[in-house]
Amino acid sequence: MIVFLATVVVGMGTYLSRSIFILALARRKIPDPVLVALQFVAPAVLGALIVALLIDEDGSVAIGIPEVAALGVGAGVAYRTRNHILTLVAGMGVFWVVRALV
Amino acid sequence: MSVDRAIVRRGITDALPLFVPAVPFALVIGLAIVESGIDPFSGWSGSWLIFAGAAQLTLVSLLGSGAAVIAAITAALVVNARHLMYSAAMAPPFQRQPAWFRWLAPYALIDQMFALTIIEADSEPETFRTYYLAAGATFWILWQLTTALGLALGPVVPQEWNLEFAVPLLFMGLLVLGIDKWTKAVAALAGAGVTYVFAGLPSRTGLLVGALAGIAVGFALERMRR
Repeated sequence: MIVFLATVVVGMGTYLSRSIFILALARRKIPDPVLVALQFVAPAVLGALIVALLIDEDGSVAIGIPEVAALGVGAGVAYRTRNHILTLVAGMGVFWVVRALV
Repeated sequence: MSVDRAIVRRGITDALPLFVPAVPFALVIGLAIVESGIDPFSGWSGSWLIFAGAAQLTLVSLLGSGAAVIAAITAALVVNARHLMYSAAMAPPFQRQPAWFRWLAPYALIDQMFALTIIEADSEPETFRTYYLAAGATFWILWQLTTALGLALGPVVPQEWNLEFAVPLLFMGLLVLGIDKWTKAVAALAGAGVTYVFAGLPSRTGLLVGALAGIAVGFALERMRR
């Protein structure tokens, strides 16, 4: 139930962020400093998320050689190909191979 | 009022190739819901309640990994803050649209829809509306189906594949694709580093500290450059 409610809240927030200028503030502009900050939201949050998802329940960071190798190769493949499917395949492949070796 | 079928067809055929990069996201969201142990319907409901892949994946994977609910909600909403820019950019063409469409359309203003329809902003209002609805409906239907497919595949995938690692991997792909200047790379590193330092904070709230630090670092660097 709590998961469903959390989903509803995120859904409402998402709709608000997509609709606010279209519905209410059509004649307003986003202030310059906000625009500058907004462009760093995605990289900052994604960088934080990647690390946060590799933290164990007890708060210790579970980043070993397989994870680092896979994320590195994944980043390289994403940069070169700009293709999420190849990124996923290469990254998981490296993860499995390195894990079997170490 | 007759609907121009040629425009509908163009909306659908323009949407299809753009959906391809979203397929791994949709499947991984389905898998992540199964992996997280949250109830499948609640997890999948994000597909239509939120209709934004990165936010849904953030919410599901954080809730599944024992994050505080408020931290998971905040992180998902912060991931979605980019939509403010889409909303502001799309405001002018929407001022010539009827109220019902202005209320409905933002629900479908996903990344791909923004990319597709911002270049149609100068079209005649009815053409714009038909195109938007056709492309939006295409994305919406495919998204519901592919996230459900991921959900169905979840129990079939062996545990030892550790497919939950696909989630940070996909976020890494998104991150790299979004970096077009060095200040963004530094913001990402700051976000990651600070989250690492604050990993011991309860319920993954270190994530929020890291995200804020990353934004602050990027903002400060950008200001110094000017």
